[in-house]
Amino acid sequence: MHYLVTLVGREDTPAAQPGTPEFDAEVTRYAEFEEKEGAAVAGGAALFPSAEAIQVRRAGGQTLVTDGPFTEQAEVVGGFYVFEAADLDEAIRLARQLPAVDSDGVEVRPLVEWMPHDTPRADWWMALLWESSAAVVEPGTPEWDTMAAEHARFGEKYADALRGGGALRPPSTATTVRVRDGQLLLTDGPYPEFAEVIDRLYLFAAEGRDRAAEIAAAIPLGDGGRAEVRQIVDLDA
Amino acid sequence: MRHGSTATIDAVYRAEFGRAVATVAALTGDIGLAEDAVQEAFADAVRTWPERGWPTNPGAWITTGARHRALDRLRRESARADKEHGAALLRPPVEEAEVSPVTDDQLRMIFTCCHPALSPPSQVALTLRLVCGLRTAEIARLFLQPEHTVAQRLSRAKAKIRQAGIPLRVPPPHLLADRVPVVLACVYLVFTEGYSATSGQVAVRAELCDEAIRLGRLVCGLLPGESEARALLALMLLQDSRRAQRLSDDEELVPLEDQDRTRWNRPAIAAGLSCLNAATDATGPYLAQARIAAAHASAPSWSETDWHAVLSGYDELLEHIESPVIRVNRAVAVGFAHGFPAGLAALDEVATDPRLAGTHLVSATRADLLRRACRPREAAEHYRAALASVGNEQARRFLTRRLTEVENRIL
Repeated sequence: MHYLVTLVGREDTPAAQPGTPEFDAEVTRYAEFEEKEGAAVAGGAALFPSAEAIQVRRAGGQTLVTDGPFTEQAEVVGGFYVFEAADLDEAIRLARQLPAVDSDGVEVRPLVEWMPHDTPRADWWMALLWESSAAVVEPGTPEWDTMAAEHARFGEKYADALRGGGALRPPSTATTVRVRDGQLLLTDGPYPEFAEVIDRLYLFAAEGRDRAAEIAAAIPLGDGGRAEVRQIVDLDA
Repeated sequence: MRHGSTATIDAVYRAEFGRAVATVAALTGDIGLAEDAVQEAFADAVRTWPERGWPTNPGAWITTGARHRALDRLRRESARADKEHGAALLRPPVEEAEVSPVTDDQLRMIFTCCHPALSPPSQVALTLRLVCGLRTAEIARLFLQPEHTVAQRLSRAKAKIRQAGIPLRVPPPHLLADRVPVVLACVYLVFTEGYSATSGQVAVRAELCDEAIRLGRLVCGLLPGESEARALLALMLLQDSRRAQRLSDDEELVPLEDQDRTRWNRPAIAAGLSCLNAATDATGPYLAQARIAAAHASAPSWSETDWHAVLSGYDELLEHIESPVIRVNRAVAVGFAHGFPAGLAALDEVATDPRLAGTHLVSATRADLLRRACRPREAAEHYRAALASVGNEQARRFLTRRLTEVENRIL
């Protein structure tokens, strides 16, 4: 099974700013994790801060593309991992080793589908598709099938640019993982600071911001849904 | 067992539902499917047993029937190319007529229901449903919640187990130490909800206490090496032995001091004490609480209570749970063990804890210690303060009664 582990944290710390020594130190800690558990890592990327993001909103039949930042929220998604794990216990065992669990929390959610990706590069972008948690469609329903067909059309059209992605199980399947004083704390449900939940993500390559915005605008979104498009940090650069 | 009436099929349902679900779920890896299949097997039983006579082993009949139904459905679904379930078919069905459910399956089910990635209310509801075999409506009634709330909670929890891949297994040894406390906490939640009902008109809900003790016994039987489980069972049995005396005929709370000790449940006390003796190497919070309960249960009268044992129980408990409420109770024990001025001094140490602000606990306890120390004027003053912040109607009546008592002494 594939699990998406969303790393959530504050953006106003040096460790969240690529290029700072603190960020590099954080990267080293993640590299140590990957050294140890790399066999289970099926994907992942670190993201540039949300201020540099592109936002796509869909409301009343209109698609609106603007710059970030998106909301006043203190905490944002800073990166993600996809784990291939036999079951939730195994996914939690992996997740609890991530540095983010000590200061913040990480959300572990099973994926309905996962398209693997190569090593992220400097021209890669990630689109996180957000929905209000009440609007999330259950896999296997006719609404899901309609949505999936739209995504398939989008996938065909932008096949050259797409690098990977996945669709998530409903938020009710989420588990938030924290470690406090060495104790593992598991909470039922998605990371509670957000009113919206991620229900799909795409990774794609785009030469420049304009092209990224163009691709993002074509992503199928339900009414009221939004996509947050963030540039990926090329950790090998 | 009497045969032939639906009442006795109900008894079989209560006794066998959990085991049958556990066994079928172990076979198919799908709790929802197992639950449906066992449900259908009972429907078959209701139809056929009264006509064709009862099987010699009703539990095995149900389990076998449910297993066949579950495998049939998997076969039909796999024909629709449901690969998720296909793997289960690789195990050929065993053809013997009578299967005896394995305790391992039930233990697996308890750990699955109490997985820490489920919320505690879901753990409790699922355990009562799938392990104890309570119906959704019964669980709703016990927790005084709308039936659809409980139904939603159950289906959400089952969906999470299935979709998030919560394993149906007893955790491996390295996780067991983390997971057993969750299971015990779930059992104790059922008990405390029954013993000191947080909502509703009745202060004690006997069915929940019974269910918790039944679960406690089951867990002790399934995990014979777990002293914590035994300590918890001891605690529940000892507390429960006083259940019938906690309320007077007119439904007023009767303090321990005034309870009729001849009417405490002696067999339960004996069982609790022997359980306690077998649990002395437990290291968790239940042993200390069980020791406190045991000191009360074995005292022939309030005045002959071993207060030093009670006090050391509270000291031990505070090492596990840092709670101001426990400190207040400890102050009372200090009062009886070392004199009421010492108790009042111990109370002063905790009285300013902000977590107690707005509750009547400190004033009521101080008033009680002052009353016992023969300082009625000050006692009355603190009873009045306690009455000003008490929310519970039963407690209000009790404090008013005490206030009148001390006022009469002043006059």
